[in-house]
Amino acid sequence: MRILIVSNILPPKVLGGYEIACGNVARALAERGHEVFALTAAIELPHTDDPPWISRGLSLHWFHPTEVSDPSVKQWRLHQATCSDFSNTARLIAAVRSFRPDVCYVWNYMGIGGAGLLAALNAADVPWTIHLMDRIPEEIASNTAPHIVSVFGGTLHDLFAPATVIAMSEHLLNEIAESAGLRFTGDVELVPGWLDLPEPHTHLPYRRDGITRFVTAGALQPTKGIDMIVEAAGRLRREGLVFEVAVYGGGNAAPYVDLVNAHGATDVVRLCGARSQAELFGIYAESDAFLFPTWEREPFGFAPIEAAGCATPPIMTRNCGASERLVHGVHCIKIKRDVDALTDVMRDVASGHIDLARLGGTAARLVRQDLSFARWIERIEAVLARCASRPRNRSAVDDPRLEQLAYLQDMLALQMRFA
Amino acid sequence: MSSVRRVAHLTPAYFSPDSYVGGGERYVDYITQAVQGVGGFEQRVFTVGTADGSFERNGFSFRVLGNESSLTGQVNGFSAALWQELPGFDLVHIHQSLTIFGAYSTAIVRSLRIPSVGTDLGGGENTLMLRGRGIELFDGVISISEYARGLLDKSYSGLHEVLVGPVDTSKFSPDPGSARDRSKVLCVSRVVPHKGIDRVIAALPPGLSLTIVGRVYHEPYYELLRRMADGKNVHFVVDADDEKLLQLYRTSGLFVQASTALDIYGNAVAKSELMGLTTLEAMACGLPAVVSNTGSLPELVPDPRFGLVFSGHDQLCTIFGRYSTGLWPENGAGALARAHVINAHSMDAIGNRLTAFYEHVISDHSKQWTQCGS
Repeated sequence: MRILIVSNILPPKVLGGYEIACGNVARALAERGHEVFALTAAIELPHTDDPPWISRGLSLHWFHPTEVSDPSVKQWRLHQATCSDFSNTARLIAAVRSFRPDVCYVWNYMGIGGAGLLAALNAADVPWTIHLMDRIPEEIASNTAPHIVSVFGGTLHDLFAPATVIAMSEHLLNEIAESAGLRFTGDVELVPGWLDLPEPHTHLPYRRDGITRFVTAGALQPTKGIDMIVEAAGRLRREGLVFEVAVYGGGNAAPYVDLVNAHGATDVVRLCGARSQAELFGIYAESDAFLFPTWEREPFGFAPIEAAGCATPPIMTRNCGASERLVHGVHCIKIKRDVDALTDVMRDVASGHIDLARLGGTAARLVRQDLSFARWIERIEAVLARCASRPRNRSAVDDPRLEQLAYLQDMLALQMRFA
Repeated sequence: MSSVRRVAHLTPAYFSPDSYVGGGERYVDYITQAVQGVGGFEQRVFTVGTADGSFERNGFSFRVLGNESSLTGQVNGFSAALWQELPGFDLVHIHQSLTIFGAYSTAIVRSLRIPSVGTDLGGGENTLMLRGRGIELFDGVISISEYARGLLDKSYSGLHEVLVGPVDTSKFSPDPGSARDRSKVLCVSRVVPHKGIDRVIAALPPGLSLTIVGRVYHEPYYELLRRMADGKNVHFVVDADDEKLLQLYRTSGLFVQASTALDIYGNAVAKSELMGLTTLEAMACGLPAVVSNTGSLPELVPDPRFGLVFSGHDQLCTIFGRYSTGLWPENGAGALARAHVINAHSMDAIGNRLTAFYEHVISDHSKQWTQCGS
């Protein structure tokens, strides 16, 4: 297949699992013999190792390190980020014309003008699949008034109607239905987070030397529950339990350093900074349990699956996306998302009341068999093939007025929002 | 044609006191009638209003869609319901195309890949459609005069046809039973400054009377006209219905349309008289016509035997002088005027040309989509 991938960001720039997953899937599809062309935003990081099929020509209007205080500039950026940026849409149209994809595989469009891009794919009658790892349709719905969305496709539902949908979890689909009012009624496939671990590490003995080693990895932000982990660690330290917590991840560490101090947990909690995926696999294999008290609207969460694949059982929020795939007491421990529940489970683990070896072994087997990347890339491939085979008017791609239409839609949206 | 074509007309307002009573809205009514006369077309008119609704009028189906625009002004209205309403139509004719309504509708129709025709009826000069070249998204454009066409030439490069009219020549016809008063000059237009009614009053000589028919939309101007008319034989009819108007067409001796691009207050007027429909109606009733050299008006009187053009006060005085003394027009001018309207601007003439244009657009659209994929 000729697969055109659209993603706001691709590695080496990474904000979270979304970009890593897109990069891995793109590379795997290319390695499996598909002709891949990936259209993504320009980044500031060196990317000399890029394969030739990555084109970093889009403009990104999101995740800027500079804060802008002018509200009108903020609104303008937000509009271009979530609704439409004609120059990005024109680049997509050009890519569609020159690459002539059988299918367009859309990932996170936040920051590159999602509504305009999707409208252009619809106008060009290009079959497209969207891979949802976050509730990105909500970004359009919450930042763009319905009458402006209607310029691009009637309702949000109409805009997404031609799409084949891959979603990480039912939880995510429900989130999108509730937050954006968008319930997908067409072709929807669930593809969970996966483990891409070609050389499995052997897990070291659990609670070696009587020390329980908790680990967590992810962006340093409240939604991931880092605050709760620090507070629970402080409580358990005061109880005299022997344990340590290693926190891996990028972000603003300063507030968490303060938090660790405030809870008197400096000798049990270490903020270790970001690590590569490969390094983390080694770290998981040396750890006893993975802490994941993430927020309840977590679409999925790659990290607990990766830890489970390394035989490190996750302790996770009971109704986050990844919880759909793991069974409580068999592959993981699920908790209500509060500090008391987290503290109780950590205490049980640190006291040796939980059979970590059993949990870790079953979790690793599940992940390696059911949640392996090799398995799910085949499923993704099948979804893309199904999408590509839908009836289409191939001549629509050559409509010389596609840019004119995109421009009119972009300008109308601007006029409606700012005039 | 092998089957009935489905044509949707999109207009921001429809001809009714419930919506708007203007030339643009009346044009849509006339166009649908002209197409109906040819046969082979099923038409529906879509418009926007304060609430959803549907109704039938004169055998045509009207669909009113609730206005979703936050902008004020009739031509700034729109409805996303078009996305659901338009699939299945063979062609969409977007009236008042150079407005927000037109731009919004164009984006939808093009997205749906339905052949489209646009017509500017003077309701706006939307920059997205002109400078932004959104007008190029039409598969064809109908202009309502050569003058109107000239305004679009720089912005539009596709199929372009000029259709002036239509006029219902069976309704607007002479009445052999009604006597004409040759001294009676008739002027039919809304009472607004750019219609140049002041110029007619100023040039009106003794011996001729002037009847001005039209609703008052500019009170100060109306007051000015009344003052100018003092001492002259001038009558205002501000509430004429269709019957009264027809009776005046049939009993007057001369029709004058004096619109101007620079009104008496010094205001420049854009796109004055894209099409002077009342002039054609008057001529269909057998009236010779005198028109100003504004907008499309000179196009309407191509033959000096039944129509003259003036450019200023002196020329209009001269024409009135020749008319008063019987030097112009010669006998039979009224019949010539009517014959011209029937040949060039009647329902049949316009209906045949418009439907042929529709077919051309549909055919080209179909070929274009085939070719660009081959």
